[in-house]
Amino acid sequence: MIVEGSIFPLARANVDTDQIIPTRFLGSLDLRGLGRECFSGLPGIDRLYAVHPDATIVAAGENFGAGSSREHAVWALQGRGFRAAIAPSFARIFEENAYNNGFVVCAVPPDAIDAVLAARSARIDVAAESILLDDGRTVEFKLDPLRKEFVLGGGFLAYMEAQIPEIRAWEAAKS
Amino acid sequence: MTAERTLFAKVWDAHRVRDLPGNNALIFIDRTVVYELLGPPAIEQIETRYGGALYDPRRLVAVNDHVVPAKDSSTAEQAQVLRTWARKRGVLLYDVGENGICHVLVPERGLVVPGSTVVCSDSHTCTLGAFGAFAFGVGSTALAGAMLSGATIVARPKVMRVFVRSRLQGGATAKDLALGVVARLGFKGGTGYVLEFAGDCIAALSMEERMTLCNMAIEAGATTGICAVDEVTISYMRGREFSPGGEAFERAAAAWRTLVADDGAAYDAELRIDAGELVPTVTWGTNPGQSAPLEGIVPHDAEPAALAYMELEPGTPLRSIALDQAFIGSCTNARIGDLRAAAAVLAGRKVAIPTIVTPGSQAVKRQAEREGLHDVFQDAGALWTHATCGACPGLSTGVLAPGMRCISSTNRNFPGRMGAGGRVHLASPVVVAASAVMGRIASPSELEAPVLA
Repeated sequence: MIVEGSIFPLARANVDTDQIIPTRFLGSLDLRGLGRECFSGLPGIDRLYAVHPDATIVAAGENFGAGSSREHAVWALQGRGFRAAIAPSFARIFEENAYNNGFVVCAVPPDAIDAVLAARSARIDVAAESILLDDGRTVEFKLDPLRKEFVLGGGFLAYMEAQIPEIRAWEAAKS
Repeated sequence: MTAERTLFAKVWDAHRVRDLPGNNALIFIDRTVVYELLGPPAIEQIETRYGGALYDPRRLVAVNDHVVPAKDSSTAEQAQVLRTWARKRGVLLYDVGENGICHVLVPERGLVVPGSTVVCSDSHTCTLGAFGAFAFGVGSTALAGAMLSGATIVARPKVMRVFVRSRLQGGATAKDLALGVVARLGFKGGTGYVLEFAGDCIAALSMEERMTLCNMAIEAGATTGICAVDEVTISYMRGREFSPGGEAFERAAAAWRTLVADDGAAYDAELRIDAGELVPTVTWGTNPGQSAPLEGIVPHDAEPAALAYMELEPGTPLRSIALDQAFIGSCTNARIGDLRAAAAVLAGRKVAIPTIVTPGSQAVKRQAEREGLHDVFQDAGALWTHATCGACPGLSTGVLAPGMRCISSTNRNFPGRMGAGGRVHLASPVVVAASAVMGRIASPSELEAPVLA
């Protein structure tokens, strides 16, 4: 799986879930409009969209996706056309939600993020856990070995379904 | 057979179905909480892809909590999906009228068992760690996974002991302790950890105060917080709607008493706090880690972007900051003890700004009314509402307009959290109440004597 595209540079830490998709957009069963509101909680976002209209890879500072459990944050990013995010660190629930939706999260070494933010584009080889920047530099990242399979092939719920017999047996043995 | 274990390790071991690749394990989930805002995507996946199959409907609880009653047709549809599904699948439902914020309602009904595991598609599920439970927020798809399979995948967190000695004093509350923990760790300093709270200060806290503390573990990025079980826990559990009765309760309590860390258990990290040094605290910035003493100033090294959003200058005394609204509510601070404390400040006084008091559950509301607290709030000129998350996530009953500044007993001061362009200062219920009276950030100690009728 290769994700290739231009970088959307958010040179700030702690981009929280309310900035990715404000709570007021969660009050609906209809998830189709989320992409239009992606990052609408982030001051000055319109300028950035104007400069990077076709970006597909978010680059950001540490603790990206902090805060709420809303999977809508990932759905909003995907709805806007983003396919991956690169940051020194991600909040736990956001990262899990990303994995479960096939949205690629690359936690890179903190000293590598400036190069990513400065790059125009990147090519992410998900299986190889490696990013090639347009200036020729390579940045490595590490994916969770189990959840990586959900990114590459989907199937989180199918995986959970397959565990049910063992879970039932475990519960029966315990009681 | 084994070495000394942390409390978290005991709960983990008791629920580990098996280890999975990487650092992961399959963890059995005792209780799954589903609510109207972020539950429907999970319900839809289970209904459309798995014919509505649930591992065990008796382990589920459905609560209408975030926007109650619905504020428009769109949120009414969400509530309708939840109640229709719960009725069809035999899931215990707390609907409009007996609703509450799920993290308030679930414990008050006795639905969180000490030492159990709980998931919910809300990050503040960590609140329930107060009961020695491993309780944590997950996304809607992971919630669907737990509904379907009775388990979830968890990357084993490290365990940080947060040792709090001495006693809260000088007006400092559990909220100030929570803000103090987040300030010390920073907004991401707890990431990858469970915060295991210990020490004589924690032992002296009520269950409500422990819930306030655990509630904000997520604000340091932690997976959750957890407190040891003691007689305070057991006494809280006694007589709850879903607690066992009689002999069965005593047997359960005997098992719960083992839910403490072993002496000599090894931790991955430790944070030590002297509660005697904590003071009433207010946030000045745009994440819960950005706070300062109420009697202090906006720090000179404050993050410029946060100050720009908050329209504050470094060096500004916090007590000089004028406010447009005060809010007491949320899963952090809307339990009966919080309302009693706020009412004690407001008794015989008048608020100077719009002030909204939103109880954490309808049960809390009714208890408050039995005690006459609703009269205290309303005599002071505050608005006394029904239970809901409401203003905290900027959904209803107190949403801010751009530029409005609100002091709030809640847990998040993110940009736009309580309404696009709104500014939020987090504080304890008593500081919110005092600030409501003064129309600026204020301490209860500076209020003039109340005019008692």
